[in-house]
Order: sequence, then C-alpha cells, then structure tokens
Amino acid sequence: MNEKTLDSALRQPLADRLLALADDEMLLGHRNSEWTGHAPILEEDIAIANLAQDEMGHASLWYGAHGALTGSDADQLVFFRDASGYRNSQLTALPKGDWAFTLMRQYLFDAAELCWLERLKRSQYQPIADIAAKVEREEAYHYRHSSAWIRRLGLGTEESKQRSQAALDELWVYALQLFVPLPGDAALVEAGIIPNFRRLQSVWEGRVRPYLITSGLEVPLETTAAATSRQDQLPHLAELLAEMQEVARKDPEAQW
Amino acid sequence: MSDTQWPTYEVFIQDRPERPYRNAGSVHAVDPEMAVLNARTVFVRRPACHSLWVVPAASILARTAEELEHGLPEIADENGPEETYHVFRKTNQRRGITYVDQAGEVEASSPEAALRAALEAFPERPVYVWWVFPASAITATAEDDVDSLFAPAREKTYRQQSQYRTTI
Repeated sequence: MNEKTLDSALRQPLADRLLALADDEMLLGHRNSEWTGHAPILEEDIAIANLAQDEMGHASLWYGAHGALTGSDADQLVFFRDASGYRNSQLTALPKGDWAFTLMRQYLFDAAELCWLERLKRSQYQPIADIAAKVEREEAYHYRHSSAWIRRLGLGTEESKQRSQAALDELWVYALQLFVPLPGDAALVEAGIIPNFRRLQSVWEGRVRPYLITSGLEVPLETTAAATSRQDQLPHLAELLAEMQEVARKDPEAQW
Repeated sequence: MSDTQWPTYEVFIQDRPERPYRNAGSVHAVDPEMAVLNARTVFVRRPACHSLWVVPAASILARTAEELEHGLPEIADENGPEETYHVFRKTNQRRGITYVDQAGEVEASSPEAALRAALEAFPERPVYVWWVFPASAITATAEDDVDSLFAPAREKTYRQQSQYRTTI
C-alpha cells in the first residue's frame, strides 16, 4: 500500500510515527554536526560531519514520506516548528558531551536503528520499505564506525574507559525510550506497516549487552525509560532549536 | 621528542573491478580496521571505489630515482621465505591526485630484494619513485563491503556540480 491506498484511520498514526523517525535523525545529525572543526582528530572530524550529513539525508527521506502523506514541507517542519511540535526521543536532543558520550549515543542509536530497519524493509507500506532499504546500507557503515570506537574506548586507557562508562550510565535510560511505542503504533503494527517497537528492545539488548561487556563496560540495570511520551521534552530541545532555527527564522521569506 | 600521532597508513583505491589500484593519500589510525574506516571517510566520499587497501607506511620501502643513483638498499636477510610484493611507481612529473600507480607484483624474500626484482621486472623508464610492500601488509575491504561503504555515495547528488545552484 502507499499514501493513496492507505486506510484513512491509519493516516494520523502513520504521520506521527514518520515524524518521530525523522525528528530523531534530524536532531542526531545536528548534534553530530556540532563537532565540525572540534573533533579530536582530523579523520574523525570528517567522519562525524559525514555521519551528520547522512543522518540529515535520512531525516529528509522520512520527512518526505510524511509530506507525501500530509502535504507538509520538510523545511517548514525543521526550521519553523516549536519544541512543543517536535516528536524526537529525549536521547537525540541531549547535548553532544565529550567524544565518548557522542560515540556511545551513536552506538546505542545505530544498534537500535538497525533493529527496526531490518523489519521496516518488509513494511506493507511501500514508501517505508523503500526508504528503509536505502537507509540500511548507510547505517551498516555507521554501526561499524560507532561500534569500533566503543570497543577501542572501553578497552583503551583508564580515562577512555571511565568516560565511556559514565556515558553509558547516563545514556542507557534514554536509549530505552526508543522502544516505547507511540500512542497510534498498535494499529500500524496490526496493518503490517511497522514492527512492534517494544518487542525490538530485547533484540537490541541481545546485541548491545554482550558487545558492551566485551568492550570492558558494565551495562546498567535500569529497565524504565527516561520518558514515555515524545511530547515530554527536556530543555535541551529548545536550546538546540534556538540555534538550529536562528538563521531561517531571521528571514522566513528567504529563498534557499 | 616522541611523536604522539597515530601511525600512518597509505591508502590505495581501485575505482572499478579489474582496474589498477592507485595511491590516494594517507590517513592516521590506531589500527588497520580504523584505517579502513578513516580511508573511506577521507578519500571515498565523492570518488568511485570498488576496493580499498590500507598499508602501514612503516611496511612500505620507498625510494626515489635520485636515492637509487647513490646505490640500492642493502639486503639484510638473504634467507627469509619468499612472498608476494606489490610494486607501485611514479612515472611522470605531473602533480595528480594520486601519487604512485600500480605496476604489478614480484616474489622476493625481503623488501630490499623486492626492490631489486622490481627494477628488473619493470624496465620502463623514467620512474621517479618506487614503492614496494608485501601483500601480507595489506588490509583490504571485502566484496560485501561495497554495498555499505561505497555504493551509497554513487547516488548522492552532492557529488555533482550541477546540483549546486549559483547566482551571478
């Protein structure tokens, strides 16, 4: 099925889910882009800018699917929506922190994203299946990069291990929110459009737990996500948007 | 004074199957896996790539034509086992994006012996710079890496100048 044949009762739930996917990619890309010019080493400066660009590309695909369904415009959504309208998880709006924090967030997110992309490729909603197939190819590289860093930081020096552990300790409960379903998800799962995100959590834990342990880190025991609603945002989001939207908002009529 | 930089790896790119590898430049990395990822990041965003090699710079014996005029490097160990060495050379003075191009392979029991073998096996001159390194020093990407490492860039429109609007 596609936007023309979709059951009208599923339109709003699907739009909400697409917006959530897009917002997470957009903000993650923005946070990564904050390293440009500041990364610890030249090659990684290029790599993280590269990652950020890829993520914004993925966001653009999900916003496009949202637009095909609702008539929305991606630039309007990104640059002129207030924090109250954003549907990202709290994880992706957190500040970039130190290098270990950025890479740990990236690793936890990449591992999660691969879990849902595997299943979204089989979505009954064709635009989602197409996007997931395209995004997954790049995500494989992202995962390879972030997981390589986690191993090297965890098994590196005393300092790199401490910083990675501190990052993991803080990020774990935010990562859990990635698997909290949206209110409209159940109907989409029933229609074969998206997987059950809550069930993906155990797939994700099955991958990241052993990997983190062999990287010399201890996995937190918390099971409760930092937030259960994507309408529940931290002050970080408003700060991020103030900076990201500043130029566009200065002249809303400008042609880009 | 100790060097706190990570080791250097030379990067070689094969842009399409069956084509020669060309040296694209170098990256710093802590180990071969990171070297492969860094090489992909730094050198394979826009150019086409089918396969990528990284070789520790320390494993490469390099000599310019001028250095060779003063004599060949001494062979330290005559009796080691023979292995395959790759030979790369710079055959013109043009400043290009790549430094040395692939000549071929020789069998030798040491880098110095490989250089001698290369001078004989590839008689065309002038050659301005010779590089030899054992095949065992190469870390290469695999066939299934093409899809995740190299293929996505082919479809990116930012690679094409026509996609950038300019106003005059």
